[in-house]
Amino acid sequence: MKVLFHWLQEFVAVTASPQDVRSRLSLAGIAIDSLEESPAGPVLDADLTTNRGDCMSHYGIARELSALYRLPLKSIAPVILSEAKDPVSSVTRVEIECPDLCGRYTARVLRGVKVGPSPDWLKQRLEALGQPSINNVVDATNCVMLELGQPLHAFDLDTLAEKRIVVRRARPGEKITTLDNVERKLSKDMCMIADAARSVAVGGVMGGGESEISFFTTNVLLESAWFEPTSLRRTSKALGLRTEASTRYERGVDPEIADLASRRCCELILQLAGGELLGGVVDIYPAKAAPKKIEITRKELLRVMGSDVPDRDIEAILSALGFAPRRSDATPGAAGSLMAAWECTRPAWRRDVSREIDLIEEIARHHGFDKFPARMHPARQAAARLPLADAEDRLRERLVALGYQEIVSITLVDPTRDALFRAEGAAPAKLTNPLAEDASVLRSSGIVTMLQALEWNTNRGQRNLRLFEIGRAYTLRDGKPVETRILTLGAAGLAREKSIHEPAREFSFADLKGDLDCLGQLVGCFRWESGVPAWLHPAHSARLSLNGVILSEAKDLSSCAHGVAGQLTRRIAEKFKLRQDVFVAELPFDPLCAALEAARAKIRYAPIPRFPAVERDFSLVLADGVTFAQVSEKIRALAIPEIISIEPGDLFRGGAIPTGKYSLLVRVVFQSHDATLTEAQLTDFSARIISSLEKSLAAALRTA
Amino acid sequence: MPIPLEYTRRTLDEIRAGSPEHVEQLFADLRADFDAASSTVDSADAWKSFRDAWIGRKSGVLSAISDNWLKPAPPELKRVVGAALNQLRAHVEAVIEARRLEVEVSADQAAAVREHVDLSLPGVARSLGTRHLIRQTMDDFERIFLSLGYSVATGPEIETPYYNFEALNIPETHPARDTMDTFYLDLPPGALTQYLLRTHTSPVQVHTMESHPPPVRVIVPGKVYRRDNPDSTHSYMFHQVEGLAVDTDITFCEFKGTIEYFIREFFGPKVKTRFRPSYFPFTEPSAEVDASCIFCDGAGCRICKFSGWIEMFGSGMVDPAVYGFVNYDAKKLCGFAFGLGVDRFAMLKYGISDLQLLFQNDVRFLRQFP
Ligand SMILES: [Zn+2]
Repeated sequence: MKVLFHWLQEFVAVTASPQDVRSRLSLAGIAIDSLEESPAGPVLDADLTTNRGDCMSHYGIARELSALYRLPLKSIAPVILSEAKDPVSSVTRVEIECPDLCGRYTARVLRGVKVGPSPDWLKQRLEALGQPSINNVVDATNCVMLELGQPLHAFDLDTLAEKRIVVRRARPGEKITTLDNVERKLSKDMCMIADAARSVAVGGVMGGGESEISFFTTNVLLESAWFEPTSLRRTSKALGLRTEASTRYERGVDPEIADLASRRCCELILQLAGGELLGGVVDIYPAKAAPKKIEITRKELLRVMGSDVPDRDIEAILSALGFAPRRSDATPGAAGSLMAAWECTRPAWRRDVSREIDLIEEIARHHGFDKFPARMHPARQAAARLPLADAEDRLRERLVALGYQEIVSITLVDPTRDALFRAEGAAPAKLTNPLAEDASVLRSSGIVTMLQALEWNTNRGQRNLRLFEIGRAYTLRDGKPVETRILTLGAAGLAREKSIHEPAREFSFADLKGDLDCLGQLVGCFRWESGVPAWLHPAHSARLSLNGVILSEAKDLSSCAHGVAGQLTRRIAEKFKLRQDVFVAELPFDPLCAALEAARAKIRYAPIPRFPAVERDFSLVLADGVTFAQVSEKIRALAIPEIISIEPGDLFRGGAIPTGKYSLLVRVVFQSHDATLTEAQLTDFSARIISSLEKSLAAALRTA
Repeated sequence: MPIPLEYTRRTLDEIRAGSPEHVEQLFADLRADFDAASSTVDSADAWKSFRDAWIGRKSGVLSAISDNWLKPAPPELKRVVGAALNQLRAHVEAVIEARRLEVEVSADQAAAVREHVDLSLPGVARSLGTRHLIRQTMDDFERIFLSLGYSVATGPEIETPYYNFEALNIPETHPARDTMDTFYLDLPPGALTQYLLRTHTSPVQVHTMESHPPPVRVIVPGKVYRRDNPDSTHSYMFHQVEGLAVDTDITFCEFKGTIEYFIREFFGPKVKTRFRPSYFPFTEPSAEVDASCIFCDGAGCRICKFSGWIEMFGSGMVDPAVYGFVNYDAKKLCGFAFGLGVDRFAMLKYGISDLQLLFQNDVRFLRQFP
């Protein structure tokens, strides 16, 4: 909200510069966003917090200044020069049918006004504050609202049926055309200002077109009322209509000021548009409440703030803000007493203050937050990271070392894309109120966001990509949201770029498998099996489990239940406009971390052998379908303790190898902890291996 | 080098050297020959054969002299020959060692020329990954607060209105709800609870206090959501680290001390902190924390709108009403809470002007934060 510096000075004689005022207000909780010059003088723009309805006026901010600068605040005393003998009650009546929505309604009537343009000084003020000038009567109401914070509404009295006001709920199916020329549908929890026949205004929000002040208006009914903030906020939201008035009512207007503001407005109208004011006021005030008493003690102030504030400052601040503090402890004469207590009377404009802590805040912000010294306090307990945080760090470190860049994706995604990777039977976590269709569902796997990241980069000429994300996937199970931590990998393009030292090499499934097995080393090895969801290439893909244990209890094939890794099918890649081969993997993350911790707990040192290792190569011809794992298993089944590793050395098909068969070179390394192996031992091992493979796998030994 | 000095293969008697003078003359000649030969040694190979020719154990000149001259020498010459041979040996060994160093140095120099490498060419590159900037920033926060005794807590991103709002003293009618536009979850008909995407990490304050008796010191890193149209400062999703400390001896002063320490640790010792009164329904007194502008050291620039200060995050003393929701004794306990915008801190620290960059995952962006 904007305020004019000179207007503030009419209420409090500040001699400080506008810059100083800006900074003092900002440091007392009235944030001043900008300070600009205007024809009406310096304009301060206050970004008010929602609790400070009382500061939505010049007078309210002037009150803050009076407390800050310890200067007196001038009181408002309107002077009515021409008051008619006829009482206002002789021409109009007010009835409140819904006191829960409208707590006070005052009406005054002015006769014989001459509606016309406003004088320049007023136009200038309104303009500087961003208010268009309408005519002298309407401008007077706006001027008083800006001055005192009380929204006022002027009706053309002669357009009101029976010249009377009924404050009531909207009737079923009722409509009103507001001043902005929009026809609005009303509902029964909206508070309407009506005459004897129809609604003429949405109470506290906006007037209707038919009763507005025109250049033909001569008799004016001036409304100054108080509406219940919560219901008003609902009305304003439902109508999609926020006005200067509704914003003020929402944040809480002082119900006590309604009559004073009405008189101040009449003073101004008489001054600007002439005419005469009918005697007295119609004032229906069902919400009148006794002022609230709140006690503040030094003990509590010290307990919360940790540092003292002198008596005179406490009293000066609370007095200036209107709380009328009065010492209420046993020894009110004792200055600085630890037992000091003050009984305060809450002014009607500060409905946000109701507890001792609220008063402490008032004192603290006016005393100055900077006056409270900064201290540190010792911890009483040891700090703990999240249970799996160390495991997460190790996995992340390894991925970074493997060349994967971590990404962070917005988890709201396109539902059609998300559905591609969603497990059968899992319900998506959809939004009721998305801002865009392509961000209307929470991702049910990390694949969809991973592919988006790959898409973004390839579209921008970045083709060689290795990315990972540690995040969550979201689904609904039995109507309840389920969040699962996941690790997602994505890769495309070259595994190695061409350089002066090395040739280029495309990323392949074997790269993905190798990288994942590097993670596997940390978590106790992955088992790779076939059987993957349809979005993965049936040959270049696999399901991963840990040490034979599936990564989750769930039986479905979704990536959240099992690890999956492989090449994306062309059909899916096309949907993301990815023209190169794309490799992805996804694993449930928490089981991975847990497995890492379990694996680490089992690590024990193994002595380094003192005797040399010996390699033996077996060049085998095997039938297609016989796997390396089978070969390895058969060799291990011989239970030769000297075997320390079995690795594939070379693999090829074609050439001299008949169709339906392939050649596999298997390298076995032997080593003993007790002695150097003899030629005789090695010959025996080799013979046993060959014989076993020949018998069980029909392997043939290939002679070079 | 040809085997030099054939006469060393014969005895003194055979070469008819009978007087000490003659013997000395023989040694003087040998020395001259050695010196002459040594000056021609110019490579490692030449040096090796030179060495072998003179001090080789089997066929070296000195061994030959020892075998042929010294051992069979008549007693009257033995002393002269022995002394002369020792002298010659000392000289030969010293010169051969000196020549070795010279030859090695010149060999290195030759190699340097021959095997010259263009040092401006790159080595064999290994592509390394990076942690995301958000992760790096969260890790920084975590490290600072762990050092102050704060444990780390976590909670769901899909929350109930109770935890996101009510238990934080934000009833349905509260105007603060307008400033936190919220995404709601579409649930099957008949669902009993409403769910929303948490608008802040503060709900975990409530979860933490519900499950832990005081004292409490936690930070809560996580994703939060706001229904704001994306632009350079808004995003559907961003990151916060919530902090909460509750104890019997915490006051506003400890709150200030902790926040000031954190700001200095994160931005550096020169950065100052300022507390401005503000309003949040779940803290009272509430404060906006400003840091002195890191771009102009507080002198005023475009980024701090010439104020010298940059608004960092909201914080304050826990409102006693919040304790009521978690059965904490508001009369005995006091505490503070804060909500750090991770993305904002990262953007300020590294001069990033567009929030969207953090979530596009462009590798040209990611690579900039190794
Ligand atoms: Zn600056």
